[in-house]
Amino acid sequence: MIDTWNLLLGGFATALQPMNLMWAFIGCALGTAIGVLPGIGPALTVAMLLPVTAKVDPAGALIMLCGVYYGAAYGGSTTSILMNTPGESSSIMTALEGNTMAKNGRAGPALATAAIGSFIAGTIGVILLTLFAPLVADLALKFGPAEFFSLMVLAFVTVSSVLGASMLRGMVSLAMGLAIGLVGMDSIAGIPRYTAGVPELIDGIEFVLVAVGLFAVGEALYSVLYDPKGENAKRNKLTSIMMTKEDWKRSWPAWLRGTAIGFPFGSVPAGGAEIPTFLSYSAERKLSKYPKEFSGEGGKGAIEGVAGPEAANNATAAGALVPLLTLGIPTSATAAILIAAFQNYNIQPGPLLFQTSGPLVWGLIASLYIGNVMLLVLNLPLVGLWARLLTIPKPQLYAGILVFATIGVYGMRQSAFDLVLMYVVGVIGVVMRRFDFPVAPVIVGMILGPMSEKQLRNALSIAQGDWLIFFKQPIACTFMVATIAVMFVPIILRKRGVRLAEDD
Amino acid sequence: MQKRWQIGIALFVLMLATVFAVGASQLQSDAGYAGIGAAFVPAVVSIFLGLVGALLMWQALSGGYRNFSDALIGVASDNRGALWVTAGILLMAALITKVGFVLGATLLFTCVARGFGSKTWLRDAITGAALVLPVFWLFTLVLDVNLPRLFNDWL
Repeated sequence: MIDTWNLLLGGFATALQPMNLMWAFIGCALGTAIGVLPGIGPALTVAMLLPVTAKVDPAGALIMLCGVYYGAAYGGSTTSILMNTPGESSSIMTALEGNTMAKNGRAGPALATAAIGSFIAGTIGVILLTLFAPLVADLALKFGPAEFFSLMVLAFVTVSSVLGASMLRGMVSLAMGLAIGLVGMDSIAGIPRYTAGVPELIDGIEFVLVAVGLFAVGEALYSVLYDPKGENAKRNKLTSIMMTKEDWKRSWPAWLRGTAIGFPFGSVPAGGAEIPTFLSYSAERKLSKYPKEFSGEGGKGAIEGVAGPEAANNATAAGALVPLLTLGIPTSATAAILIAAFQNYNIQPGPLLFQTSGPLVWGLIASLYIGNVMLLVLNLPLVGLWARLLTIPKPQLYAGILVFATIGVYGMRQSAFDLVLMYVVGVIGVVMRRFDFPVAPVIVGMILGPMSEKQLRNALSIAQGDWLIFFKQPIACTFMVATIAVMFVPIILRKRGVRLAEDD
Repeated sequence: MQKRWQIGIALFVLMLATVFAVGASQLQSDAGYAGIGAAFVPAVVSIFLGLVGALLMWQALSGGYRNFSDALIGVASDNRGALWVTAGILLMAALITKVGFVLGATLLFTCVARGFGSKTWLRDAITGAALVLPVFWLFTLVLDVNLPRLFNDWL
């Protein structure tokens, strides 16, 4: 305990250096901006920013990228409340209640409860991360290849089956991601696979290219094909952000409940913030003393319905850092790209991270505390400024997104051919979007595929080729059983009338 | 039309499965202590692709993809817009090393804005350049990312 405290203090010493503070601020501001803007999410932004890892020191770059990841969870609520067009799918629930409140002249309190709730949930989430991450890392030190392999299988099966409307289409996306991940040199024997004699392919397919192609080019082409004018959603008027005493009284318990629901969901590899926000919303609706105010009942919008899901959303974002930092397991496309950022510095997130790169991790965790404060300031008094981003016309917005996309892709290898490849991936992305294939499993499969193959082959080498090793060891066996159980989650949810969609 | 697309996608996945299976069968690898070599996972992935491809085909032929409703998605309307976006990206890819990043990206910006229905191309070009220039300086002068230049570090 005392150890953790000292390490965290050391982390603050890193995070409070002026340069790192600046990176945190840039990350938080960028994250809020992309959270507000429709059509651009944290996964794409982090992917486009990866070239900065070439020059910036690891602490600064990772602090900034985490700020983007974190800030996006804050910014999403602004668009939902003011325009009823959720910037990210995890803010769909916020849109439901928040937009109704805004229509009835209460946009200000809705934005305030969202921002303060995000701050409280985010801060509690980071405190829990501080306490639990070292414990999980210690536990994970006992993991061998068999445990890691079964955990990775659990992670990609969950991401593919829980995201999106159809498990089969999720699995198709995953299979494609795994296939792309196979291209290049195999990590154990050093044999080139599926390179077709092209020397560039020996390093594998750059996954920034795939991410940017799917997210930026795919999104732009999809949008121009299917929705060129954009819905001329009516903007609600921004009102005073002051919350009444009553608002506070009703928000508090909702914030805490949202946090309690969100954090555990983030920290298990369950993929996305959608299920926890949904659960939080339905809990608030059931528990509320004012059920008539909920939009579903034709009411004027209940503040609990904004407070709970927004808190759950941010707590999930903090929770997802636990498996990311301690096990090296990404639970979303954004997390997968963050892993790539670590790998650019030859740092492998996982149980050893806390020992080999202690100052870096603790600096990162400390920066999350600071980031939460920054985001509260950015999102409360300055909310009017961010709302102005919504006036950027669609043509210039998408033109700008694509310019940044090309920097991200071209900056990696200085190859004009990569730009053509990015376009081709973008076209595939349009087809995927059109036929409702989730995109995140492709990215997660690409990153986790090669990692899990390595673990599989190491595990089998140790066990002398005995496949039962994955069921003989209790931890590995638990993960395997959980994997099978997870496949039933979408079926159960669908029976209860929940339609899942993709985040990022 | 709809059905043909769904079958086409399933065929694409099955084709990918075949390509990966053929590739896996040609990989030489020593199995070692693990009992599996470099060809094992590719084989598994190709079987996985084949399996999901076959299921997708079955769904496409028996009434369409499940839990999928066309009503949720609009009808493609603006092919010309998509052509402008395509032209922008491909032109940039073709010209970037010749005219430098700044001009290439400005061209991209103008084309994409045109694709999304903007009619003020001169204003778009100026907006584009105003966005691209500081970004170019940030990446080349501060972050040391190598982007093609027309004359020097400033352009």
